[in-house]
Amino acid sequence: MNEEESLEKLKNAILRGDSNKAIQFVNESIKTGIEVKEILNRAILKGAEEAGNLYERDEYFLPDLLMTGDAINAATETLKNSLNGKSEIQSKGTILIGTVEGDIHDIGKSLVVSLLQGQGFDVVDLGSDVPPEEFLRKAKEINPILIGLSGLMTMSISKMVETVNLLKSENIQSRIIIGGGILSKESCEMVGADDFAKDGWEGVKKINKLLRI
Amino acid sequence: MNKLVKDWTASVNRIFRTISGSKRVDKVPFLAFAGEQMICRVTGKTVKELYSSPKVYANAIITTFEFLNTDSINVPSAYAGPSEALAFAEANNKLDAIKWFDYKPLMCKQGEICKSEEDIETLEIPDHSKNNLWKNSLLAAKKINEKIKFPQVISLSIWSVVQELRGIEAYKDMRRNPDLLLKLCEKIYESQMDIYENWLEIVGMPPNVFIAGYSFNRHMMSFQDSMRYEGQFIKRMMNKIQVPFMLHNCGTSPYFTEVVKEIDFIAVNGSHPLDIEYWIDFKKKYPKITIIGANIDVSREMLTGTPSDVEEKVKENIINLAPGGRYICCPVCSLPWGVSIPNILAIPKAIEKYGHYPIKLD
Repeated sequence: MNEEESLEKLKNAILRGDSNKAIQFVNESIKTGIEVKEILNRAILKGAEEAGNLYERDEYFLPDLLMTGDAINAATETLKNSLNGKSEIQSKGTILIGTVEGDIHDIGKSLVVSLLQGQGFDVVDLGSDVPPEEFLRKAKEINPILIGLSGLMTMSISKMVETVNLLKSENIQSRIIIGGGILSKESCEMVGADDFAKDGWEGVKKINKLLRI
Repeated sequence: MNKLVKDWTASVNRIFRTISGSKRVDKVPFLAFAGEQMICRVTGKTVKELYSSPKVYANAIITTFEFLNTDSINVPSAYAGPSEALAFAEANNKLDAIKWFDYKPLMCKQGEICKSEEDIETLEIPDHSKNNLWKNSLLAAKKINEKIKFPQVISLSIWSVVQELRGIEAYKDMRRNPDLLLKLCEKIYESQMDIYENWLEIVGMPPNVFIAGYSFNRHMMSFQDSMRYEGQFIKRMMNKIQVPFMLHNCGTSPYFTEVVKEIDFIAVNGSHPLDIEYWIDFKKKYPKITIIGANIDVSREMLTGTPSDVEEKVKENIINLAPGGRYICCPVCSLPWGVSIPNILAIPKAIEKYGHYPIKLD
């Protein structure tokens, strides 16, 4: 199998969301001597991009994106392990994310985490029902390039306001995005965030735009 | 019981005549989803106080809906979302999955109750007659029926319960193990039928079923999948419960126009789309389906606007959707904790100003 075929197979495994095949084809690509950068860019990230395009054309849906996300993570992990600590894969930066206090919905947030990891970000997921003080504590500790606050409930908006106020009063400089189906431009302005997203995929796109990546 | 301040008979007529398409409607009805958070806010009681006694709960609900001057009234916890998760948590000894709050509804940690495939295989279906929250909620619904003669509408769902029990894994199951996911949907269907049987026994025959749908959204799944994992079960409910069904759908990209071709709903209500043109077009295409909505946004004009902003939005909705009837004015989703009371009260005031039939607005 030549380099092109190897990478095509890996990309298709990513697109199908087949984690086992993705791991197998990463290992095969490494054995055939393909450079890590090539595997990442021409197969893994290419697969992620094509999955996103299919989603935008209503040919892929949330289940497909999630399966693709899992396959990307499995492939990237395999690639990292093969490097034995050598840092050929550079992180795009660290993102801090969590569902605000009083809300424990996490489906949209989990999708965002999975896709961002697949795109090369380090993501610290604080989980759900996260108090403002916990966002602050972790932000001070890891200095993220962006903080994502998620919430499905209409009641979560006031907690987003509280969290953003606390982060800004403590001079946290990270960009802030809020996510949830109930959000609007007006509520985003009220919260004081840099942007908002109504679903997971929109969140990923807007995060990339905010960070100009 | 508290003394009534409102003519509920007029409200009952307004709501149910609108839904049935009758011409004998005096003005556009006002419906609002006032959850426990609003009832706590109006009455000062905690949710546990509300849930502890059907009499206290029913009184608090009547007080709240009268205060908000709505034409609708319902028991918010008798809804197949978090309360159903609680019933499953109790039946399966997984109460750790439930988180209680003082002044808002309980929540379920999504995916905790059916974390593994084995959890689905062994999942016990709850007996709602043994669950205190459900028992008291249904008794409160009965008391409301008796007190104000407002027939209570039952709310059922499949996918919102799937999300509570299985969380994000449910979406992956669609691709890696659809049969297992269907097994979970079957169990939830059986549980929903248990709610219905209890409702029949305690509250009586409901006039309508309100489906709290969550699957009919393009950004979540294909339409084919939404019919497979929720739609087919709604059809089965319809065969069993021979009353008209209404559909509520939370989500930003709904399949309303697709789903009404497959399932015979008499009314639809959605948190989206917010574009009034969508609803104008919907009304043209489906003149016999009542629109409950359509775009009074709880996170825009309701939360951050003024009473004048709300009035303008109500006026826009009435001009475009009320002529010909079959329109109920309603904010798009549950009223947020922080929404100003004058903004809520601006809706019935605007209806009074613009919403009397025949509508004479350009």
